[in-house]
This record gives sequence, structure tokens and C-alpha cells, in this order.
Amino acid sequence: MTARRWPWQTWSASLATRSREWALKRQGSDKHGTELHARRIYILPTRIGFVYATVVLVLLLGSMNYSNNMGFALTFLLTGIGIVCMHHCQRNLSGLRVNFLDSESDFAGQHVSFRLQLDNPGKQTRWQLRTGWDRLDGQFADLHEARCTTIGLSLKAARRGRLPMPRVAITSDFPLGLFRAWSWIHMDSSAIVWPAPSDQADAPPVTGTDDVSGHSIVDGGDELSGVREYRASDSPRRIDWKALARYGELLVREFRDGSCSECWLDWDALEQGDAEQRLSILTRLALDANANDRTFGLKLPDCTVAPGSGETHLNECLNRLALFGHVDADVAEEPG
Amino acid sequence: MHLRQEFWRMAWLISAVLVVALPHFQYVAPWVAVLVIAIAVWRLAAAERGWPMPRTALRVTAVFLGYSGIMWSYHRVSGVEAGSALLLVMLAFKLMETRSRRDRALVAIICFVLMFATFLREQTIWSPAYLLVGITLSVCALMQVGRFQTRMPVMVAGKTTLKLVVQALPLMAMLFVLFPRVPGPFWAMPVDSGTAQTGLGDSVSPGDITELGRSDAIAFRVRFDGTVPEPAERYWRGPVFGYFNGRSWSGRIPGPGPEDTSVLRKDGSSYSYEITMEPHGRRWLLALETPLSWDQKDASYGPDWQLISRKPVGERFAYRARSVVNGTIPGNDSQRYLQAMRHLPANVNPRTRMLARQLRGSSRDDVTYLRSVLNMFREQEFYYTLTPPRLDDSPVDEFLFETREGFCEHYASAFATLARAAGIPSRVVTGYLGAERNPVGDYWVVRQSDAHAWTEVWIDGDWRRYDPTAAVSPARIEGGLDFAIPDAGRSPVTLLRRSALFGQLALNMDAVNAAWDRWVLSFGPDTQMALLARLGISKPSMRDLMIATLISCGLFLAALSWMLTRRQPEHVDAVLRLYRLYCRRLARSFRVPLHSEGPTDYASAAVAARPDLGSDIHSITNLYLQLRYEITGKTDDPRLLAELRRRIRAFRP
Repeated sequence: MTARRWPWQTWSASLATRSREWALKRQGSDKHGTELHARRIYILPTRIGFVYATVVLVLLLGSMNYSNNMGFALTFLLTGIGIVCMHHCQRNLSGLRVNFLDSESDFAGQHVSFRLQLDNPGKQTRWQLRTGWDRLDGQFADLHEARCTTIGLSLKAARRGRLPMPRVAITSDFPLGLFRAWSWIHMDSSAIVWPAPSDQADAPPVTGTDDVSGHSIVDGGDELSGVREYRASDSPRRIDWKALARYGELLVREFRDGSCSECWLDWDALEQGDAEQRLSILTRLALDANANDRTFGLKLPDCTVAPGSGETHLNECLNRLALFGHVDADVAEEPG
Repeated sequence: MHLRQEFWRMAWLISAVLVVALPHFQYVAPWVAVLVIAIAVWRLAAAERGWPMPRTALRVTAVFLGYSGIMWSYHRVSGVEAGSALLLVMLAFKLMETRSRRDRALVAIICFVLMFATFLREQTIWSPAYLLVGITLSVCALMQVGRFQTRMPVMVAGKTTLKLVVQALPLMAMLFVLFPRVPGPFWAMPVDSGTAQTGLGDSVSPGDITELGRSDAIAFRVRFDGTVPEPAERYWRGPVFGYFNGRSWSGRIPGPGPEDTSVLRKDGSSYSYEITMEPHGRRWLLALETPLSWDQKDASYGPDWQLISRKPVGERFAYRARSVVNGTIPGNDSQRYLQAMRHLPANVNPRTRMLARQLRGSSRDDVTYLRSVLNMFREQEFYYTLTPPRLDDSPVDEFLFETREGFCEHYASAFATLARAAGIPSRVVTGYLGAERNPVGDYWVVRQSDAHAWTEVWIDGDWRRYDPTAAVSPARIEGGLDFAIPDAGRSPVTLLRRSALFGQLALNMDAVNAAWDRWVLSFGPDTQMALLARLGISKPSMRDLMIATLISCGLFLAALSWMLTRRQPEHVDAVLRLYRLYCRRLARSFRVPLHSEGPTDYASAAVAARPDLGSDIHSITNLYLQLRYEITGKTDDPRLLAELRRRIRAFRP
């Protein structure tokens, strides 16, 4: 059962889309950083602002009716404060610098995060800056004179690939909450979303003995080389259940292919599943291989990563897997 | 930590509420004040201890009870008194449910309305100071309720708010002067008992008063152009009472005044002056004896040649007038009216009539008769006192033959009765006698305690002024009330007022007050036009005023906006500028430095990400560090700087 949509909800949604396109067209892309100048700061009264304006209007009528000069003074002072407040609200954002710092990759289905740096070059403190994907939520920060702060915004990644950073809203209703000023920031940045690792622990061992290099592959050779403590990334299939029953310790059996120290994760060796499933399985295998400190290489139809080990190597393999089939598969150019 | 901030937010809000509620406490029913204070204290404690707010059912009941309480105390919810009491009660209950930010902002906004209600009751010289304090606190509260996690330091919050208020002040001034003023009121306004204070009443019945209240409140202020009338000429003529029932005198309903002004006698001393009248809620204006001309369109002659306003005087306002003082008022009254002015109720005051017959019989004419009556007051044992004994059925008889103590109304009433008993038309006139000079502001003050009553008697077709009080207590006429009664009978305030130092202070204070009244409180459509005319804008239309308001406010805001967004010049030397260029260039392929990153950390992070740029990054960072920090003592080596410049210009990753 879907919630009933009122006509104005549809209108406001379409208005939002239109304004989104308009803002992007008007401002253009901000590359990796920008400074918020006055022309790109939008400002509107809030609901409290409308209440305030109504009360001021009522007070004006009252002052006129009673010809009460202190009433006029009060009314006009409140009017002045409202208007000055609008300027301060706008100034709270104006001149703020926003830079893209980096993004943190994660697997599809997880939250990737983008880090932004807010930099206040001015002398006044900027209070109550709210940074988020939307005007109405986000993280608050006060930014004192000549300070920077880092804001991490996370986003749920639906599928693998390059996830472009959505537009960011920097909002503030300081000082009195009568006005809300905001600015949209369209960064050219993106995060890489790795394929979700397959949870098919019983993925068939894929052999790559027919491989050019002549080395054999993959998860668990057939020779048991020993046991070690369980790590988070270990497949449950390799848990030494007997040892757990006997000693109460969570141990994992380690297999070593006696014939070589290197193995290949090979796309072609996987016979089942469509492309995404294969990428998912390869991701799992790469994670497991890394967890077992093995040297492994990656072979995809369009590229090959020479065998290696360590976090950097794993990241490169994961990036290849993430961008498989994408046009801009050149990972090396990716900042961060 | 969270509780702490909650406490501070509520502390701001509650102090704002208490400050704006405080002036109301002296007017509202006591239970309202107790309720507001109790809820404020409880709310503050709840914020500190984290107590839960009451349930909805309890709150609804409380609101219902509060409303009933107001109805019970005031029998209505409209009007300034009941309205502000209701507002206070509802504000107190609103404090019980202030959880969301909007609720709290609403409380701060209601505070503004409460301040307005305060000004409807009283506008003194202290009102602007109170306005600034109240507004600053409420605005600060409005700002604080929008705070999310961390508390703003008190000093910073105060400073920020003050900045807002100070920047808004010029706008307020411009709007105050330029915003088109429309003569009100649009709807009936309840006249509060507080504003209708006056020393003059609707009737004169001396026997009923046993203690005359001597209010030091100011009735009006006068500024004379040129000559100032002698003390004995300072008769400010107000309501006239001609109908006597033996006990009290009442006046005629103010209708249109006489139209034939040719009967006015213009001989005698004439004076022109400007009066700033305090509001009294009645229609009469005051002028020296016979007003000849004035500058108020709304003013006209009353039936007895006084100055009368078309509408009740509900606000302080100023008018200019010219008067002549010669002790006579033109008498073009009808025979019927004159007959009524001779009437004495039968069976009342028989001894007075007898005395009148005796005296009239031994006098040559009316004037001699009246003189002998005055002589009687002067020579026999009559006393001037503000605390006369109560008089019963035949008040004039009792006064003349028994008590012989009274103030102006007793003497005026007795004198008019004696005149009537001799068949001479006469009436009692009330108004003010006297004026006290304020040398600081060069103007004269007439207070409620200067209220006076005298008589007018029909002689040769004119109303002649007779003041019997003068016969009893000449000091009252010459020196005012303060000199007419012995020190023992004076109020402490009056004694204080007459002491030298305090007197000077009071005069200074009153001068400030007068300027305040004249320039601010009585500022209205007429004053606005006069002020603008003085600035060279004569008779602007409402549209012109609107445009002028918009233009001047717009100019101010443009200036303010320029001031606020003007880039503060930042001191950047050549080295820093070069280093920033390098950072920007490196950011194209890496990222900008984190704020926690010094140049060295930034360099190693960059080299890790871009090993191919390693040598450039290292050498630039090294040069920068040498120029920036005293490592090798070469911070001002021009060759190093040139080298840095060359390398950074060539650095294009």
C-alpha cells in the first residue's frame, strides 16, 4: 500500500527536479572545490520566519490603532532585526570554501563515504553550518575564524561501479532561524563501489592450471598447511569445526597449494553465473586470498593485474572488478 | 552534556520570558504572576534534572483552567488587561510543552507581543531602555533555541545579538520617521483606567470629598512665546458646571460651541503658547482663560467658550493657541440658560439664602454684594485645607456656618450659591491654576495638583471671573498649592520636590521627560509632516513617504550588505602565495591538504599516492620549509625564494 500523494506533493516534487536542473545549469560543475559566492547562495524565509512576519504585521496594526509610539518603535526594531538577520544568514555562508577531500570505497550494498573540507577563510565565525545531501538534514558544524573542518557524508551504494557524488547542500539558518540560506554544490567527484562479495562460501574451486603462466590457482589448494585464528573475512567452510568442538577455539584450516605461492583469479575459469555473479565471486576470492596473505593475480576479459599482495594490490584488483565493463576503467587516474 | 545545553537554552528563554512578564506583574491578578513564576522555575529545574514534561491530558486541563481563571478574574478575555493576563498564562503553559524548536521560537515571539502590551499601559522615558533589554534577551533566546549540539558561549551569544540589534537600530529610526503615519484608531479602543487620570472630574460636589488626592502627575506642559502670564493670570479653563442640585454641580453636555465670535472681548493681556497635553481620555483641551485661535483642526469652542476636542484625548499631543486673559467670558447665552444659572433647589441650604438676603439688602448693587461676600471669607475664620470634614444634607449651610474648612471647590460652591441666592446667575468653573517653571527645558509644568475651581458670575452681560479661594488663601493663587498649606500637611514627595538638590534633579529629569514626550511620544501624523517640512519635504503624499522609506532603507541595507560581505584583507606573503598555488596544482591530481596536515605530512601522503611526482614534491616542500621556518636560517634568502618560484611554476602534474 503506497501512501497517497496529494497533487501539491507531485507539484513540489516536479518543482524540486526543475530547480535542481536549473541550479546545476546555472552554476555549472564545481570540479573538486569551490567558494560560495553571493550569487549561488539561495535564501528563503522559514516557517518560523513567516510567523515572525505575521506577528510584526499585527504589532504594526496595533501600534497604528493605539497610536502608540513605543509600539511603533518595537515593531520597527523587529522589522529591522528581521531584515538584518537575512543579511547575516546569507553572510554566514558567503565566502565559505568547500573542497572535496576523498571518498572511501566500499562494497555494493554498504555505505560509501565522501569527505569534504569546509574552510573558513574569513574572520567571522560561521555558525550552524549544516552539510548534507539535502537541505533539511546533514551534519552540523561551527567554523571559527580561519579554521577548516572535515565532513564525512555517507551514501548507500546500490550497485558496483563508479558512484558519482550527488550534489551537496550547505545550509544555515543562523542567526535567528527566520531565514534559511543554502547553496548547492555539484562536485565532479565519485567513489568506486566494489562488487558485493559473494556469500556463496561453497563457490566451486576454480582452477587456472591451464593458465598461460602455468600456475594453479585459487581458494584453498588441496593440501592442508595448518590452522590459524579466525579472521572476519574467512569463509565459514574453512572453520575447523572439530577443533572448535574439542578445544572451544575458533580456528581456520589453511590450505596451501604445494606447487606454487602464486595463484590467479580467473574470470574464464568461472563457468556459471552472469557477469555480475562472476565479479561477485571473484571479489570474494580476492578478499579471501588477501586474508590468507596469498599472492594472487586477476584476469578479466579486458585486463590483467599481475600477481601481488597487500592492501594496495587488493584495492587495485577490487577497483578493476568494480569498473569492469565501464568505459573509464582507468583506475590509476582516480584521485585518492 | 546534552542536559547542560538543554538547561542553557531554557535559561535564555526563561529569562526573556521573565523580563517581559515583569512589568505586567503589577497589573495582573496576583495568581497569574505566581503561576508564571512557578512554571518558569519548575521548567528550569526540569531542564536541569531532565524531568519529563507533563502529559497532554494534564496540559489541556491546565489550559482550560487557565482560561477559566482569566474569565473568573476579568470576566472577559479582550482588552489590554485581560488580554495580557491571558497571554501570560498561555505563555506559561507553552513553556511546559517546549520540546521542539518551533515551540520555543514561538515562546520568544510571544515575548515581543507581551512587550507591546506593556507599552500600551505605559510609555516612560525608561521604555526605550526596557525595549532594548527585552528585545535583546528575546532575540538571544530565539537564537539559542536554534542551537543544535554545542552551547554558544554567553559572551559570544550576547555580542552576536547586540550586533543584530545595533544594526537594526538605524532601520528602526528611518521607519519611525518616514513610515506613513495614519491617524488612528481603526477600531474602538478600550480606555484604561490608568490613562484617564485627571484632577478634573465630571461634577463638583465638595461635601463628598474628605481628602483631596494630590497627584504630582503632569497634566500638561506649556511653552510660552514671549511674555509669561502673571501667577494670578494663569487660569487654565476646563469644564464649566452650572447645574446645581443643592449638593453637587454638573455641567452641560459638550455640544457645538457659540459661532458668533464677534462678542469676544480682545482687550487685556494676550499670550501665545504651546501645550503638550497628557492623555486623559476626555474631550476638553485646556487653554488660558479665553482662547482666540489655535492650530488644531479637531479643536473647537465648547458651549462655554472652552477649547474642546472632537475626539477624546487618548494620546499625548501638542497644540498651539493664543488666549486673552481679562477675567471675563463673553455672555451670549440664552435667557433659559441664565434662568437655570439662577436656580437653587428649594429647602436646601436655607441659612445661606437668609445670609444672602441680608447681605444683598445692605449692598448697593451686585458687584458690591459680591465684594462683601468675599470680604466675609477674608475677614471671618475660614480656613483652607485639603482634608475638610464631611458635609451632610445642606452642605453649603454647614460649610458657611459650622465647619468653615475647605478647599477651592467648597469656596467656589458656596460663593456661587450665595450669588444665586441673591438672584445673580453664577456657575462653578474647574481647570488648573498655576504653572511651575522648569528652567532646564525653559517650559512650564502644570500638574494634577494644580487643579482648581472658581466661579463665574453674570455681571453686565458678561461672565466675570471671581475666585473666592483667593480671598481665603491668597498664597494658593500666587504660589500654588504647595504654599497654601503648612508643611505638616504636605506629602513627603512634595517636600522632597522642594528640597534644593532633589528639586534640581527633578527639574532636569522632567526636562528630559518633556523632550521625550514632545519629540518621541507625541510623534504622529502632524509632527511627522512638520518634521519633514523642516527637512525640506513639504506635504508629502503617502506614496511619497512609502517610496522615501523604501529608498532610505534600501540604501542602508546596501551599505550594510557591503560591510558584511566585504572580504577581509588577508595578509599573504609571497612564500605563502606560492605554496598555495602548489597546493592547488597538486589538488588536481591528489587533494587539498587536510587541516590537520602540515606540509610534511601532506607531502608524504601525496608521494604515497603519486610516486611519480615524488622528487618535485620533496624539493618544493623542502624549499618551503626552509623559507617558512628557522631551520637553516635562510628564511629571507632571495635565491631560495626564486628557486621555489621557478619550481612551483614548472610544477604541473
